[in-house]
Amino acid sequence: MSRRYDSRTTIFSPEGRLYQVEYALEAISHAGTAIGILAKDGIVLAAERKVTSKLLEQDTSAEKLYILNDNMICAVAGMTADANILINHARSVAQQYLLTYNEDIPCEQLVRRLCDLKQGYTQRGGLRPFGVSFIYAGWDPQRQFQLYLSNPSGNYGGWKATSAGANNASAQSLLKQDYKEDCTLKEACGMAVKVLSKTMDSTKLSSEKLEFATVGQTKDGKIYHKLWSADEITALLKEHDLAKDENAEEK
Amino acid sequence: MSGIFAINGGACVAMVGKDCVAIACDLRLGLQALTVSNNFPKIFQYGDVFLGLTGLATDVSTVSDLFRYKVNMYRLREERDIAPRTFANLVSSTLYEKRFGPYFVGPVVAGLEPKTGEPFICGFDSIGCIDFAKDFIVSGTATDQLFGMCESLWEPNLGPEDLFETISQALLNAVDRDALSGWGAHIYIIEKDKVTKRLLKGRQD
Amino acid sequence: MEVLLGITGKDFTLIAASKAAMRGATILKASDDKTRQLNKHTLMAFSGEAGDTVQFAEYIQANAQLYSMRNETDLSPSALANFVRGELAHSLRSRKPYNVNLLLGGVDPITHKPSLYWLDYLAALAPLPYAAHGYAQYYCLSILDKHHHPDITLGQGIKLLTLCTDELKRRLPVDFKGMTVKAVTKDGIVDIEFDDDKVVKSA
Repeated sequence: MSRRYDSRTTIFSPEGRLYQVEYALEAISHAGTAIGILAKDGIVLAAERKVTSKLLEQDTSAEKLYILNDNMICAVAGMTADANILINHARSVAQQYLLTYNEDIPCEQLVRRLCDLKQGYTQRGGLRPFGVSFIYAGWDPQRQFQLYLSNPSGNYGGWKATSAGANNASAQSLLKQDYKEDCTLKEACGMAVKVLSKTMDSTKLSSEKLEFATVGQTKDGKIYHKLWSADEITALLKEHDLAKDENAEEK
Repeated sequence: MSGIFAINGGACVAMVGKDCVAIACDLRLGLQALTVSNNFPKIFQYGDVFLGLTGLATDVSTVSDLFRYKVNMYRLREERDIAPRTFANLVSSTLYEKRFGPYFVGPVVAGLEPKTGEPFICGFDSIGCIDFAKDFIVSGTATDQLFGMCESLWEPNLGPEDLFETISQALLNAVDRDALSGWGAHIYIIEKDKVTKRLLKGRQD
Repeated sequence: MEVLLGITGKDFTLIAASKAAMRGATILKASDDKTRQLNKHTLMAFSGEAGDTVQFAEYIQANAQLYSMRNETDLSPSALANFVRGELAHSLRSRKPYNVNLLLGGVDPITHKPSLYWLDYLAALAPLPYAAHGYAQYYCLSILDKHHHPDITLGQGIKLLTLCTDELKRRLPVDFKGMTVKAVTKDGIVDIEFDDDKVVKSA
């Protein structure tokens, strides 16, 4: 019966639902998991790469984690092509704010602009919504370190720890159990890899399957964001006994 | 109105050395004879590329902010810093877009090419004609004086320390003979792995 | 000729503007307020072409208020100054540019540092420790060059302002009918009682 209402995104169903938005969320639940954790001195974003192949040029392709501006990075869960459009838009918005006010855009405002754009695709134009959820991590002088999650409906929320993509329900409940409010960035990194290893298909992680990034503050008080290299990820995995043993048999 | 370029005053010079470049500017912002500020720098850094801008102060601010926007977008998309030669072409196109309503600026670009470390400087007119130079580029209200100083003081293959002395003397003595420039200077010496910025006091008049 | 003066100190920014509103040889009003409060910590004083001044100032004030309402936080003085500069730069190359000169003074709500920005109608922006617009520049900037230093208190700032206004009374051929003086501190904007009645005779 609901089939009659699927063909238009901008139409409510009799039960008061927007099916296209829900189908978009369904598409995202097939994508690689992304999680974000807010620590008292920084934020960690970690994501599972779905497209892994020896033939892929790893160093040059970023599939899940992207830089938005000097103060913010984001993790993508969903259709990469859709994400690219939104990320380009976010980058332009951030630069336009910098051009107008000579200051970096406050995190929530950038999230809100993107979400307003996404909302437009659920109400106007007859086009399908974007099939992407974002986890944003950033810093601004007003609210310091912040973590946000947005989805295709255009809703967003501020979180202490959150996840999106495949198995995000179990990731979310794991985070709920393990999260401590005053954790340091280092502890948050450890928690991130532990949670990911439990939600990903293989229990032994390797740096090819992960993208990892942190937002923090240097000793001089300057904000930095770092997309971790393969070696740094491997070192972190080894530290938490999660690295794939090189001598182990391939499954 | 003694010409739009001479309302606010200012001077900028760039020089090539051995595996290094230098770029320097004065710090004055004026309204014809009146000095409004002695801390109006005219050199802007975008990654490893340096842009000096003289001319109408409002356009100096507008153009420098615009290039910050464009270079940031370039860096985010390309995931690498923009090279000086590429940036020079960006400056040229951006200025020519306003061919019939131009920005009243005299840009100077200086930097080292990323892979080879080769020194690169160039200057432009207000509508984007690129002047690639092997020795030095001058811009602003003291160009006549700067040309004279550079032509006599510059020689090829100066090391960073000698280049600093040379560019400082060229700028300081040139602006001392120009009523609309001076009030201090910023000198940048750019080498492969470090950039040294020095503030010169000079004659405060 | 309208007088605009701005002085910063350790923890305050003082903005002073003359009270006379003139059209040609007539003084229309002797209690004209040439300032607009943009938000809790930022004040803007304006001078220039009649009509353009108030229109532009209130346009900026409206935009500042709208930002505060939409984003539940005020724009810092530096962000506002750059926003205003952008608007002036946009107006400059339009059919009829706004002919307005501004002094923007404020205290940053997070760092509590005072700041003062000089903006002219061409959209040239200069952050300065002290500034003026109009003929006041020629009379007052040298006095401020000599007597100002960065750590002055509000009381010392007001004394400096008095030095400047005395010189203006001595040398400006026009009676500018006294000054409206306002101070911006980390707690907000306050009107300052400024004694205008003293008659200053030439040396």
